[in-house]
Amino acid sequence: MILSSMQDVVFGYGNEPVIDRLSLDIEAGQFIGITGPNGAAKTTLLKLMLGLLKPWSGTVSLNKELTGGGGLVIGYVPQQVASFNAGFPSKVIELVRSGCYSRLGLFRRFTKEQEALVESSLRQVDMWEYRNRRIGELSGGQKQRICIARALAQQPQVLVLDEPATGMDTASRSGFYKLMRHYVSQHGRTVIMVTHGLEETRSYLDTVISLERQEQEGWTCLVTNSCSVHFGQEA
Amino acid sequence: MLGYEFMQRAFWAGGLIGIIGPLLGVYLMLRRQVLMADTLSHVSLAGVALGSVLQWNPAISGFAVAVAGGLVIEQLRRSYRTYSELPVAIIMTSGLALAVVLMSLKQNLTKSFSSYLFGSIVAVSDTQLKLIAIVAAAGLVYFIVLRRPLYNLTFDEETASIGGVHTGLLSFSFAVLTGMTVAAAMPVVGVLLVSALIVLPASIALRIASGFTAAILISVGVGLTGVFSGLTASYYINTPPGGTIALILLVFLLSAIAVQRLITLKNRRNIHKSTTI
Repeated sequence: MILSSMQDVVFGYGNEPVIDRLSLDIEAGQFIGITGPNGAAKTTLLKLMLGLLKPWSGTVSLNKELTGGGGLVIGYVPQQVASFNAGFPSKVIELVRSGCYSRLGLFRRFTKEQEALVESSLRQVDMWEYRNRRIGELSGGQKQRICIARALAQQPQVLVLDEPATGMDTASRSGFYKLMRHYVSQHGRTVIMVTHGLEETRSYLDTVISLERQEQEGWTCLVTNSCSVHFGQEA
Repeated sequence: MLGYEFMQRAFWAGGLIGIIGPLLGVYLMLRRQVLMADTLSHVSLAGVALGSVLQWNPAISGFAVAVAGGLVIEQLRRSYRTYSELPVAIIMTSGLALAVVLMSLKQNLTKSFSSYLFGSIVAVSDTQLKLIAIVAAAGLVYFIVLRRPLYNLTFDEETASIGGVHTGLLSFSFAVLTGMTVAAAMPVVGVLLVSALIVLPASIALRIASGFTAAILISVGVGLTGVFSGLTASYYINTPPGGTIALILLVFLLSAIAVQRLITLKNRRNIHKSTTI
């Protein structure tokens, strides 16, 4: 089933388009990696999918059947997470609990199930013992992990991660990719991840979207080598 | 001291601003908008001048212009995302320039302006007290009801937006509340001290709080202590109340920094001792 569909999308910064007439379908229930060199518009592509950027032209749509007519719950971990406000006065557990706020609304209290979910999210990224620490006291890799735990606590249908393994050591990265694979295989969720380490992640991924920039008649275009995701535009 | 009606009013007004100002301050500091209160007080001053020139009620025009200023800052912040401090500087300069020009149009304004600049907490009128009470009540309801989306917005606007928070609406309503608070507090504590009540308690709280809820409670606690002790001190030693409150808050901040340094030094020595043994 198609989760997200982009049709003839054009987007750029200033006067220059970095994404030119891109048509791309994202399948639901897959672990998808987006890779490419610096400046290949990986983060831009993610932001267009998430609606954080509006295309100059073309359409981006989410599958209404999948969302059940309501909003799709998306967990997002941005690229610059390790540099977030170090002075933000929050304990680790406070921050991870805030992931549940979208489901709780304004007044509903935390249930035992949600408390358990917060705990399991923190345990999954090996950060439970740090739950009472101030987030400003953590290292870059630890900050990354608590933001992933926060996204997991949201119980998202789609998890979108922009270079999530930045700052993590080898063992943590491996554990994290296994966790995402399990999340997709066992829970039927979709994970879309921007990554530079394709050789490290390829075995966990269902689909790879490889972005390359090619000068073609004065325009920059994007190419994918993925078998299940296609571009409407020829390279 | 509390036998005098004017002191009772001063304590009520100060207490209400001492709650809502520091509470607002925590969010403003974390959103990198710490100078917004100062800016809006200058904008509000321009509103007061405009009201006087056009022969409208200066309090109402000051209030309306401060709220409008908050909205303009928020709109500009969206245009200058990379330079979030720039809209504040633009509006502050514009507000001050407008106030100076309007003041020059009416010569007898200078005297009434001094009361807006320095405030007169011991001369709070019934209307002013009511206005402060309404703004403080609205602010408290706002922060209690919207505490969850505000937390997410303050931590990171992008993830909050994807998580379903109406970030635009929330940011604009926050700007309106900031404008309302500044405009209501200005005649009481003065343009120059509005920022002190918003910034200093929050600065202390953000240094020492272990969590977000703790930061808010500490900020409000420090704000109230500063206002009440400042009013008491100013009554007995006959000093201007606004300035006394600000100086006491400054002493609190310096003490908090000193105590924090001493604790850090002590902890380092303990670690050094345990490693050398």
